[in-house]
Amino acid sequence: MSLADTHAEPAGRKPTLLDQPECRFPLALGVEIRKIRDLFRAATRNQWDPKTDIDWSALAGLDLDDAHRYAARMYWSRRAWSEYGAISESPALLIRFCQERREPDLRYFFTIRTQEESRHAEACYLMAEHLGGYIQQPALVDFQKSVATHGVRKMALDPETPLEAIIAALVCAAEEVAFDVFRHLVEITPNKAANQVLRSIMRDEVRHCGFGWAYLEHRIPQMTRAEIDVCERAVITMIRDVEMNGYHSAWLAPESPASRDEVEADRLTWEAGLGATVEELEKPVFVASVKSIRERLAPFGIAIPLFEHPKFDGLV
Amino acid sequence: MPEAPGRDFSGNIPTERRFPLHLEPAIGTIRELYDAAKQARWDPERDIPWGEFAGSRYSRQTLAAAALSWSRRAWTEYGGLPETPALIIRFCLEHERESDPKYFLTVRNTEEAWHLECCYRFAELCGGFVAEPAGAAYRALFERGLHRQALDAACSLDAYVAAQIAIGDGIDLELSRLARDNAREPVARAILDRLVADKTRHAAFGWLYLRQRAASWGETERAAIAEDVADVVRNVELAGFRCVWLCDGAADIAEADRTTRDAGLGATTRDEEEPALRRFLLGATAQFAELGVDLPHSLLPS
Repeated sequence: MSLADTHAEPAGRKPTLLDQPECRFPLALGVEIRKIRDLFRAATRNQWDPKTDIDWSALAGLDLDDAHRYAARMYWSRRAWSEYGAISESPALLIRFCQERREPDLRYFFTIRTQEESRHAEACYLMAEHLGGYIQQPALVDFQKSVATHGVRKMALDPETPLEAIIAALVCAAEEVAFDVFRHLVEITPNKAANQVLRSIMRDEVRHCGFGWAYLEHRIPQMTRAEIDVCERAVITMIRDVEMNGYHSAWLAPESPASRDEVEADRLTWEAGLGATVEELEKPVFVASVKSIRERLAPFGIAIPLFEHPKFDGLV
Repeated sequence: MPEAPGRDFSGNIPTERRFPLHLEPAIGTIRELYDAAKQARWDPERDIPWGEFAGSRYSRQTLAAAALSWSRRAWTEYGGLPETPALIIRFCLEHERESDPKYFLTVRNTEEAWHLECCYRFAELCGGFVAEPAGAAYRALFERGLHRQALDAACSLDAYVAAQIAIGDGIDLELSRLARDNAREPVARAILDRLVADKTRHAAFGWLYLRQRAASWGETERAAIAEDVADVVRNVELAGFRCVWLCDGAADIAEADRTTRDAGLGATTRDEEEPALRRFLLGATAQFAELGVDLPHSLLPS
């Protein structure tokens, strides 16, 4: 793409981290957060390759009707779009770690985290391909917006958005919910290839979540009450306005043609044993996940309230 | 404090239009590099024989020199940590671009972290990592804000790849090979073997990408590429970023590198680097000419 094809943001914009000069010395590279350095090393030891480490033959000769096959292709394509978001957006956090000269362990870990996101996108793409073909875009515009506007990149490059709040909301809340759902999917998905993909991704995700908790554990004792309050608000917003608005689970989204299609595709994929779940099975997983997040954040002085949602009887 | 030779930031980054999202293999040569990189994965902890380092064999002066040489290598390797994520994002921001470069760069970034960890650890083994260059002029060469340039909508992505990868990573590979060939100490040798293997892919990526893109370039793009390449050669490479004997402010490192090289601990000197640099620039000029990009003859060092 040439310069003529890029669409630059308008002038008069708010300064970002990119406007600040680079100042990398003195360069600290030693271990400062042991748990996160260990996660980097564990990630190094546990690399896998979607092309060679998944038994793709388990998807050959499946007896599927057109509706189930299309739903499964759509489900895995959608999952690929979602994983891709972490390639397109999350590397901005690494730029932030470097520019603010944060603890070196964060920088090391995030290099391999981004590579893992590539593996996940590749594995999901290959699932869709083996099921009949990857689909390049959503059919409906409102769904397109929901998967394309994750917003991490913008937040990461905004020096006024505290890094700790981004990590608390994005990792300790959103990724924690995603991990719990992955674990549930691994438990209920019978197809061998789909199960291997989900299990492999889940093994990476457990480190991604571990990173967030280890970072908060390290940072919270150094933070003021006001700074912790910002984290608290960020987590509440993430759970109430993003997760409970259907970011990961379509059945939580407001009623619309896009969410109806997504819920239906999930149900058909689940019926085919190819990797999705359905509202009645996922609901208790989601409730337990929010409860666990609340309990783990409480010792940090981050108080997460109970939430209301029309899909639940009582508070979550 | 000398000014870093980086570009001013326009303030604009491209805006993403994510769909249609292409994840299919599109540039076969780069997809092969990505697949090869995944298969060539290694572990600094397991694959480097750290226990074989016998520091007592070397004088205090030699170890101090090696610590500085390897610290300098770590400063250079560190550059990838902020730069590569910016480049990944830039590829993602460009509309309907192939997935292969994006995937490949994610692996490159991990490899850069492994290189950094190894160089830092070896500097520590030799007596202690040095956290910053002594000379301000040399230090400025590291703080060019490449992450900002990679994301800048006013900078051509292809010109960036030409200057920073085809040229920068290409020279890096040639010099790393020389250092590897000089290394007799087993830990230094093992680290440099790994670095050279990874950097061979990094440098190949640049040229493969440019070959893929060359047909789409018009005169404006070719001129932008020639300008960026000339800028990096003159103001970065010939200013001594990698060949420290070219930098007045890095005499301490040039001296350390001589000692480190003679001890077999993995460095190179001007005698070896100068002809390699000249050969590389001649070869690169010819390769760019094949792609329709004419570089000024004055680029070649006299």
